[in-house]
This record gives sequence, C-alpha cells and structure tokens, in this order.
Amino acid sequence: MTMLKELAAELVGMFVAEKRLAIAVLAIVAMTGLLVDLAGLNPLFGGAVLLFGCLMLLIESVCRAARGGVS
Amino acid sequence: MTAWSTAAPAISAAFLASLVEVVEAFTIVLAVATLRGWRPAALGTAGGLGVLAGIVLLLGPLLDRVPISSLQLAIGILLLLFGMGWLRKASLRAAGVIPLHDEEAIFAAEAADLSEEARRRARNLGWAAGITALKAVLLEGLEVVFIVIAVGAGRGLLVPAGLGALAACAVVLAAGAIVHRPLSRVPENILKFGVGVMLSAFGVFWTGEGLGIAWPGADFALLLFAALFLGAGLLASAFARKLAVEFA
Repeated sequence: MTMLKELAAELVGMFVAEKRLAIAVLAIVAMTGLLVDLAGLNPLFGGAVLLFGCLMLLIESVCRAARGGVS
Repeated sequence: MTAWSTAAPAISAAFLASLVEVVEAFTIVLAVATLRGWRPAALGTAGGLGVLAGIVLLLGPLLDRVPISSLQLAIGILLLLFGMGWLRKASLRAAGVIPLHDEEAIFAAEAADLSEEARRRARNLGWAAGITALKAVLLEGLEVVFIVIAVGAGRGLLVPAGLGALAACAVVLAAGAIVHRPLSRVPENILKFGVGVMLSAFGVFWTGEGLGIAWPGADFALLLFAALFLGAGLLASAFARKLAVEFA
C-alpha cells in the first residue's frame, strides 16, 4: 500500500512540479483552445498565445521561486 | 520509412531524458548491490522491469484506439507540464537557488537507509534491499515509459523513441560496469536543462497540433520552439541569480 501511494505521488509529482505553474499552463492551453475553437481566431495567433504564454510562465515561475518560497 | 529529420528529435529527446532517469535508478541499485550483494539488486531490478513491461503491454495497445488529435493534445499537455517542471528546476539549480542533484549524496543516503534497516531487522534484509531496487527501477522506469510514449506516440515514432531509451540504458550500464560507482560525473543539470527545453518544445508542438494549429515549417518549428525555451530558461536563470542575491 505504501508503495502504491509512493507510485501515485511520483506520478503526480512528474507533472505537477509546482502547483501554480501547472495550473497556469492548463489555463493557457484552455484559453488557446477557446480562442481557436470558439472565438474563431486564426489558429496561428492561438499558437503564438500558447508558445509565448508558456515562455512567460516559465520565467515568472523561476523568478517567483528565486524571490523566496521555492517549492 | 521514417525520415531522419522527423525521428532524430524523438530519438535524442528520449535518449537524453532516459539517460537522466536511468542514472538515478542505477545509483540506487548500485547502493543496494554494494551493501547487500548483487542478488537482491538483480532480483529487484528484474521485478521492476517486469512490472514496467506489464504496464506497457497492458496500456500500449490502447494508444491505437485514441483519435490522433486527442492523443496529441493529451500528450502535449502532459509534456508541457513535465518539461516545464524540469526546465524550471534546472534553471533554479543553474542559478544556485536550489542545490544540484548529487548522485554521491543519494548513494550515501540509500546506503545509510539500508544500514539502518539492517540494524532493525536483519532477517528481512534481502527482501528490503530487493524492494528498494524494485521501487527505484519502477519509479524511474515509469518516467522513461512516459517520455518514450510522449515523444513517440504523436507521430508513430514509438520505435525510434524506444531505441533512444534503450541506448540510454546501455550507455549507463556500460559506464556503470566500467567505473563501478555512482555516475557522479554526468553533467546532470545540463542534461536536465536540455531535456526540459526539448520536452517543452515538443509539448507546445503537440498541444498546438491537437488544438488544430498547423505550425509553419511543420517539424522544423520544433527547432524554433527549442531555441526559444532555451533562451527563456537561460534568461530566467540569470534573473533568478540576481533576485536570489537581492532577497538573501
């Protein structure tokens, strides 16, 4: 049972290194999907939102961790 | 016939990412073997590989039943989460905000754990050592399996990606057999930085394709994405170094 718990924790930990970063990435993907599918925006514009959104999230997450409270 | 330009990124991403994971598993298996002998280490490793093979055989055929765009979207999102997590940690390690991964220290910690176990219950020691090896192989192996599926499944590149992972296993085992100690000289953070960059680039690519975005330049867009993630990681690391000094 302990091993199964460790396995589950390891699996979650693989994808959720930091909660805020994970939630923000999911939000960017959802927003891109909405812009492309529902708002009918040019898919390439949606691609740019996804790409540059992720790049900005990465920089923000690293800087936030450096300011204190690394998780 | 798969074009080399299409297969190469999948092979190299699977090879490099698997290299990091296999080194981590090898460190723990070596600690078990050094302290309790090769028998529990080998049995635990075989058990871990057996469970992994079972998982792959069970879940592998299901991949063919998922529509390709859904598969690309799901894998792309998981790759983004996985890759950006690695890149974030590697950037923080490069900036000195969190300590570097130390295989010698992990080896020493595992050895201490097993010695403690020995004092407490000598009878079941072989069992405990075997389970330690099994857990290490299973947990790190799961990450390797995910990486192979993630970089290979979206474009029918499971075989090249699997070959990349197998090559990583062979390299680590060969190096381990030669040096017979933890592979502490592997530049792990540089590897993790590079792998984080590649997985994040794959993540944006697959997620976009899953959402119906046709990237200009097709597969070559991956190179641009990788360059941008590399730049962002280096920039984030430089900012983090400054901020860490300011807030220290």
